[in-house]
Amino acid sequence: MSLPSATSAGELRNIAERIHGGDASAETELVHEFSHRIFVMAVVRTHDREGARELVQDVLMAVIGALRKGQLQDADKLAAFVHGTARNLINNQLRSQSQRPPLEPLPEDLAQSCSAERLEGAERMRLVHQALERLGLEDRKILWMTLVQGHKPGEIAAALGLTSEVVRTRKTRAVKKVADLIRKKMSRT
Amino acid sequence: MNCKEVEERDILEEYLLDRLTEPEREEFEKHYFECGTCFSQLQTRLALQTELRRQPAMPARARGAGLLRTWIWARAFAAIVILFSAGIWWYSARNRQPSQQVAVPPVSPNVPVQVQSPSTAPSLEELARVEPPPYSGVVLRGAEDESHETFRKAMQFYAKGEYAKAIPGVRAAAKANPQSASFTFYLGACYLLTGQTDFAIVSFRKTVSLGDPAYSESAHFYLAKAYLRKKDAARAKDELQKTVQFHGSLESEATEILRQLGN
Repeated sequence: MSLPSATSAGELRNIAERIHGGDASAETELVHEFSHRIFVMAVVRTHDREGARELVQDVLMAVIGALRKGQLQDADKLAAFVHGTARNLINNQLRSQSQRPPLEPLPEDLAQSCSAERLEGAERMRLVHQALERLGLEDRKILWMTLVQGHKPGEIAAALGLTSEVVRTRKTRAVKKVADLIRKKMSRT
Repeated sequence: MNCKEVEERDILEEYLLDRLTEPEREEFEKHYFECGTCFSQLQTRLALQTELRRQPAMPARARGAGLLRTWIWARAFAAIVILFSAGIWWYSARNRQPSQQVAVPPVSPNVPVQVQSPSTAPSLEELARVEPPPYSGVVLRGAEDESHETFRKAMQFYAKGEYAKAIPGVRAAAKANPQSASFTFYLGACYLLTGQTDFAIVSFRKTVSLGDPAYSESAHFYLAKAYLRKKDAARAKDELQKTVQFHGSLESEATEILRQLGN
């Protein structure tokens, strides 16, 4: 699994124009660029990872279909277009769980780029697990209270007998340690 | 929205915890659809959240691990004391007449061994045991505000004994309506029943500070239970004495615990 790319606006415009021109490789680039973003957005909005994986395919198929037909008027706004399409399809899904008409599936080669393993980021999860084990117990507690229990630094500070500032600093440092490990290991692959 | 704002306002966490308004959420999504740095950070936090959710009892387990270590050390210490006492007894027995060897092994006066009678007083752990505070889902007539609706829904989990699942809703209600003693009280109860004693103490203290007569007695009582769980007998006694002063339904239970604590 690759790290998120930092594709420039120019490159995105180029992708949109190439898809309109019938370039299949541009479609693969689009999938690589946006599949993870759509997946994260769908997971956060629906709390359903399996449904989110299906939504990624639906959104990408809808976007590719529109781009092939030249329906994106301003190619500079590809990211906003993908986001808007994703939002609409996710909202439709939430409104009518069972009434969603089945969309045309993605071609097999593109669908492979949206596999569960790729979207879920199995390697990233393994590294996160490893990184968490290396953290101190209190740092893990701070992360747990923040990301699972949803407590604010002030609340965590009160519970652990620390100051908010300390909690905030330790949280930032812990996340950075995890991110550094992921970056280090994944940049080797 | 820009990267600086994302960092300063903890947007990544607020987003993952579903706490942004719809316009904020949309603005942030538009941002990370274009920003590789923020999206990378978001992915890391989502992965962390997912992994941490697989360990739902982590803090409790951590606390349990601490207790386990304490227990192991206590047993090790007890074993040393017993061996030491046995050694002294054996040494002194060797120097005695045979007829004296049947005597009860003496214990060195310097060794703090206490022989407990079979009818020992209950331990702090036993005294700390709690029954869930009863909850009757009374719905008042008239329009409920959003926080009451959230609370009522969350308490459906509470009623089924699913205290951990009740926490997010009860906490959201308490946050939206911080002056409601019922919200803070049941939040404390949920925390206590899921082993999050420190948070329980914070919530029960808040309940006490609100001074709602319907919850004050109970808040003091369960605060005492929380302190017992933390083995802070002095504070527990203090809260139990306050409970007794209400002369309410918990008076006799509080009095009995005080007696067992050796008040």
